[in-house]
Amino acid sequence: MTILKTRKSLDGILDALFYSFTKGIIPDNVTTLSVYQMDFTSVIINVPKFNEKDRLRVKSALVKYSGEDIINDVNLCLLSGDEKALKYAFDYTRATLNRKTNCICDISNPFVAPFRYCIKNVLDERHRATGFIRFRESENGVLYAPFSPDNDIVGLVAPHFLRRLGTTPFILHDVKRNKVAISDGNTFHTLTTEKIANFTPSENERFCVSLWQKYYNSVNIESRKNTRQQNNFMPKRYRKFMPETWETDV
Amino acid sequence: MLDERRLDILTSSAKYDVSCSSSGSTRQNVGGLGNACFSGICHSFTKDGRCISLLKILLSNDCAYDCKYCVNRRSNNINRASATPDEICSLVVEFYKRNYIEGLFLSSAILKSPNYTMELLFDTVKKLREEYHFNGYIHLKGIPGSDKLLIERAGFYVDRMSFNIELPSENSLNLLAPQKNKRAIIEPMKMLAKDKYFALPDKRRPDFLPAGQTTQMIIGASPESDAHILRLSEFMYSAYKLKRVYFSSYVPTNFDTSLLPTEQTPLLREHRLYQADWLLRFYGFSASEITGEDGNLSQELDPKCAWALRNLHLFPVEINTAPFEMLLRVPGIGVTGARRIIMARKHTNLDFDALKRLRIVLKRAMHFITAKGKFFGSEKQEFIKYALSSPINESYHQTSMFDTIQKEASLSALTGEL
Repeated sequence: MTILKTRKSLDGILDALFYSFTKGIIPDNVTTLSVYQMDFTSVIINVPKFNEKDRLRVKSALVKYSGEDIINDVNLCLLSGDEKALKYAFDYTRATLNRKTNCICDISNPFVAPFRYCIKNVLDERHRATGFIRFRESENGVLYAPFSPDNDIVGLVAPHFLRRLGTTPFILHDVKRNKVAISDGNTFHTLTTEKIANFTPSENERFCVSLWQKYYNSVNIESRKNTRQQNNFMPKRYRKFMPETWETDV
Repeated sequence: MLDERRLDILTSSAKYDVSCSSSGSTRQNVGGLGNACFSGICHSFTKDGRCISLLKILLSNDCAYDCKYCVNRRSNNINRASATPDEICSLVVEFYKRNYIEGLFLSSAILKSPNYTMELLFDTVKKLREEYHFNGYIHLKGIPGSDKLLIERAGFYVDRMSFNIELPSENSLNLLAPQKNKRAIIEPMKMLAKDKYFALPDKRRPDFLPAGQTTQMIIGASPESDAHILRLSEFMYSAYKLKRVYFSSYVPTNFDTSLLPTEQTPLLREHRLYQADWLLRFYGFSASEITGEDGNLSQELDPKCAWALRNLHLFPVEINTAPFEMLLRVPGIGVTGARRIIMARKHTNLDFDALKRLRIVLKRAMHFITAKGKFFGSEKQEFIKYALSSPINESYHQTSMFDTIQKEASLSALTGEL
């Protein structure tokens, strides 16, 4: 069993592709090894960092066969929290280079289908996050929203709130990955941080949370109870930061 | 801002309005707060499984009318409350910037008169747009019988507007809501459809009802059949260009009249009607095709499965050659599935493994399709019906030694087939 070890980034994929084609190796898996359980027969190959020119050759070939979209798609797939995302991206890009054509529409292909579902999973969670994220207002007027998504979507969600909140500054904090998106009301920056300053809520904050909790309970129709549907649409893992569920679920 | 007590009263009174979607509008944020998302966004889900997308609230629940089915009717002894336009606006802004809601769903009981109420509603949405610079989604419930000009002007401020048809027939409306009349409900719907048609896109003025209009009716409070309800929906979709018809299963709140059932209408009936409504809007079915001979939808089978079983002579269809319209009629294949099949079969001949990768629900579809000429389903109608039917009120229980656990085994006992 041949395993290629590379980085979870576009460059990592391009290096692995270059290595795979030049050495004639078809790996059984491609991984960062951080989360991979090996067996006795595994042969691990560390993919070296190639120079920019070699990477560019692979990238140009991908763009030539599949258009610029393939780079965006690979980047989206790599945002996935699925440990196999790297393999899906590698398999798909390798299939594109082998077939020398755009195969994203060949959706029943075993190399294409998982890649597409991986992207779909990321985009679905992005959409859910636009609804489930909850901001708290600090005393200086900055809105702060901690959340803990399965996929690395903080950079995908921030533009939505930038358009929506106008000039109001906000901070989105992915507590799982220690990543934050900070907006000053005009643009946003994404960075990794170990610690974030203590949050001091505004005077109005507690009242608004309590009003929201009251609203959430009042709008429910007791005689139509259907918690199964509620759990399907709003999985419990998202509720930690949603004040309306604090009294009952967390 | 509103206090908790009034918020509780005004929300509890509004909760039977089932419309909740925030889709269909692409309103942009122009120097204020908020925008609209075309697909709509759900922000939370309550314990009844319904989504919270909009702040659903009444301006007042102090109603002058006395509809038999309504919780807010004049003769009911309940807590009454009203809010001012400013109180509603500030609540919307505070909730919106915390991302609790996608916008506002504003309705009201008839306060004094239809025109007075509609004026208050209009003032609220106008204030929200012009003074609070709110660009999020607004769904306004129109007041039947109010002035035409007020309704038209409100259409330029809100994303969606709706007039509730309330009950599926004029007779039922006259009986249960004697102060309302069919004409007062239908006329504004007609007018909005016409205005929307003639309101050409113009950059100099706001769009007119970008998310169109909807309506809602109560199911089970009156004796109309599913066929009647679906024919009415079909007519309204084509005549008034509605985006949605919402169905609300009747929940008894008043027990002092013999004109209304004492028990709640089963949620399954509402669910089946929504499934049938989906078939009307996206699957190319007509109302006459969907319902059975008795005029009602099957409780055991979803409407598409029931139709397919009545038309078994049309099946199986070959998945690699069937047209899109026919794929849509196969149980287990939805609009997305049919599109995936069309896309995938341009590259390769599809077999059952490929269909699994396309996430087609083969448990249902296999009885109605062939893939590369192979058929894995059953040709016996009883067998298919049993395999596809969803058990009603299924509950878990401790099995005994003599219970049959496997569905196949119990089926075999039923049909005698090994």
